[in-house]
Amino acid sequence: MDTIVTLLYYLLTAYVAVLLVRNFLKRKNWQEEVLYILVLIPFILRLLRLK
Amino acid sequence: MSATTSAAIVLAVMVAAFVVAKLFKISTELSLFAAALAGALAAGDGLPARALVEGAFTYFDIVLIFVTATLFMNLLKESGAAAFVVRAILRRFHRHKAPLFILLALLLLVPGALTGAGSVTVLIMGGMAATVLATMDIPGPKIAAIIFVIAGLSAAAPPVNLWAMLTAAGVNMPYVGFFLPLLVPCVVLALLTIFILGAKAKPVDLAKALAELPEAPARMNWFRVATPFVVFFLLVVAGRVFPFDVPVLGLPLMFAAAGAAALLLSPVKIAFFRTSADTVHQLLPLIGTLTCAGILVEIMALTGVRGLIAITAVTLPVTVVFLTLAVTLPVSEAVLMWGAAPVLGVPLVLLFNTIGLNPVVALAGMSVIWPLGDALPPTAIIGRLTTSTVGMKGSYGKFLKYCLVPGILIAIVGTLMVVFSKKLAFLTVF
Amino acid sequence: MRKAAIAVLGAVLALFAGTSFYRSRHLREPVVPGPGVSRVVKLGDYFAPIRGTVNDANVYVLEGKEPGGTILLLGGTHPEEPAGRLAAWIFTENAVLTRGRILVILSANRSATTATRLGGAYPPDFTIPTAWGGQMFRMGDRWSNPLDQWPDPEVYLHYPTRQELAYVDIRNLNRAFPGRPNGTLTEQTCFAITELIRREKVDIEIDFHEAELQYPVISTIVAHEKGADLAAAASMFISSLEGFSIGVENSPKALRGLSHREIGDATDAISLLLEAPEPFLDATRGRTNRELLLTGKDEFVVRAGKRGLLFEKIDEKGWPIDVRVGRHTSTVLQLLEIWSADHADKAVDVTGVPRYGEVIQKGTGAFLKDPKTVDPAKLYFE
Repeated sequence: MDTIVTLLYYLLTAYVAVLLVRNFLKRKNWQEEVLYILVLIPFILRLLRLK
Repeated sequence: MSATTSAAIVLAVMVAAFVVAKLFKISTELSLFAAALAGALAAGDGLPARALVEGAFTYFDIVLIFVTATLFMNLLKESGAAAFVVRAILRRFHRHKAPLFILLALLLLVPGALTGAGSVTVLIMGGMAATVLATMDIPGPKIAAIIFVIAGLSAAAPPVNLWAMLTAAGVNMPYVGFFLPLLVPCVVLALLTIFILGAKAKPVDLAKALAELPEAPARMNWFRVATPFVVFFLLVVAGRVFPFDVPVLGLPLMFAAAGAAALLLSPVKIAFFRTSADTVHQLLPLIGTLTCAGILVEIMALTGVRGLIAITAVTLPVTVVFLTLAVTLPVSEAVLMWGAAPVLGVPLVLLFNTIGLNPVVALAGMSVIWPLGDALPPTAIIGRLTTSTVGMKGSYGKFLKYCLVPGILIAIVGTLMVVFSKKLAFLTVF
Repeated sequence: MRKAAIAVLGAVLALFAGTSFYRSRHLREPVVPGPGVSRVVKLGDYFAPIRGTVNDANVYVLEGKEPGGTILLLGGTHPEEPAGRLAAWIFTENAVLTRGRILVILSANRSATTATRLGGAYPPDFTIPTAWGGQMFRMGDRWSNPLDQWPDPEVYLHYPTRQELAYVDIRNLNRAFPGRPNGTLTEQTCFAITELIRREKVDIEIDFHEAELQYPVISTIVAHEKGADLAAAASMFISSLEGFSIGVENSPKALRGLSHREIGDATDAISLLLEAPEPFLDATRGRTNRELLLTGKDEFVVRAGKRGLLFEKIDEKGWPIDVRVGRHTSTVLQLLEIWSADHADKAVDVTGVPRYGEVIQKGTGAFLKDPKTVDPAKLYFE
């Protein structure tokens, strides 16, 4: 059961990561782009099970 | 060079970098990041990739809570549930100001009390409460102040108070005995806040208010409104009542489940992906601030600046410590957010313990004051969330001005709780 | 173009950091089993659900020829307190037993050895200098790695008492005893350790820790009431014979989940916990780096001491790792000597382990064995 919950968290993380990437691609302001990338990094490293 | 001098130089560089970045019209979030980078360079650590990214992880779980909770709220709004509830409350209570205020204050206290996050109160109840208060002719910044202050108190209210829990964990003290020392001040101060700031509120002009409010979809009903909340609260309660029979779900999943219920029960079709993407964009300043503040906390620890701040705070004369709690706690919160608990909370509680105060009541008093910092720059995280959620027009300064009176009251109550913690020890019964 | 540049910069940052995280998480720490080690079993042998997980720790079994008592040494309950793991390492690689048994776990919460504190700026690893170059260890954290146990609840209820604890402590091994068989990884690890204690009929369990100087429980033996006399006698002998002093504290009954309380309550073993001073953990510490971890020298902590805010003294000499490790080895040796004198049938006689003075004089590294000199088939890794 715990494994299923953890799996759901990885799915949630992946979904938010997709949203962050999508929004990053749509932005026109460099500051927002940098911020999106900074916020995205933990999501990517968690999905890759690095941190 | 002594550790004090070098840490002081790094701190000065960090402050300077922040100010310069702001002067160049860089956003607060990126200015925090710039301060962290400058601090690491000044301390001779170069660009420490590991520390920067580890810092970005500091509030990762809280970012997930923010995203899922806000998505849940936005789904409710899209489905028309929010409009439905506000209309119903107005019809029932439009003649009675006092019961309406008490109801609103208690409704605002619940989400933060259960989750430990004032942001959740703002996100779940803020929009609806603001709409109700607006019909009573209260100006926007005042409404934002009411919601912000009570949201802060809700975060401090029991059962979950993250500042107290993190500090207690840091000094190896069980999180026990906090219920009353937190409940009593939080409820009293929340009621005082809404009655003081809402003193000039006019009775609701029902017809006008209902005309101004968005219509609820015809098929919306109480079942559709209540079920997502019931799902959320059942999951929270299940974890408390049957902790050893249900798996650990965590707040993000609970909000996601509530959001799924709202989506399924919505009488109107909702563009889910679009709403999700908009939610994330709406939250960018907040999750960006959390990420960059985490980076800053990590770099401060790396370079010794964190130690300099902590040692300076705890080596002041005790009277000065008492008198400045109302400043040091909110300021530490404004820069570090929950990071303030390990940085300042732990040494202060140990200091209070050494001089014979009751650590539970003293810590409870401190954690009533801490959330005030959420309205202050550089991060101003809950303050900005509140003003954006309630759609406040008008300057941020005006909002802060209205926060001042309840803020001072809270600071006085919190400080007195610390000073007289020994006499108030009877409150720590459970 | 601009977007691509920003994305590349982010990727480079993530790549450097990710590599560092991966390396420290997978850093192999060699163990050369000493002459006393008769076999090495796994924690999962005592509780199958742990088998094959990150927390399926090695259990080094050191046996004497003659029967006697059984002692369990727990290193790495909190891996960010390295003197505990190092003291356990010294026993594993050096101890020779004539009577009784010593079981040693070097990484009680192995998951926690693979992470470092978010926002804490811990170094990823540290190196103990040795005559053959030095041995590198993972730094570790106080809590299990979120990669192994995720998510956390909004509040942690201890099993079985339901005491409310900070949510992060659901990943704190020393808040999860006696453990829960169908619980989280951390709770299951505690349950496995408790099972080991029951099945191996452990007489004394000793949990190695370190503490910040601003924390009142420091430089002390925290003893379950079953071990109060033993701890008091050891404290007395240590103060007069070993060149340092150590106090005794009773294990509080109101604070749940700790090894000294729960293991003593749940099993027949006497449960003790040793605390040595570690300025690296103080909230007022200055620069966070390997040097502070190993020398224990810190100007800000000294200032806190001058203001009377600390529960242990500190000066510019700091609290070097050898001093902290030596305190642990000497305390265990004294405890065993007193125990063996009082319980002839349950005696544990051990030689080959350096005491406080010797660890300080020769350095901890002098008691770590060079893995290159050993047949690789005989090496173990933590």
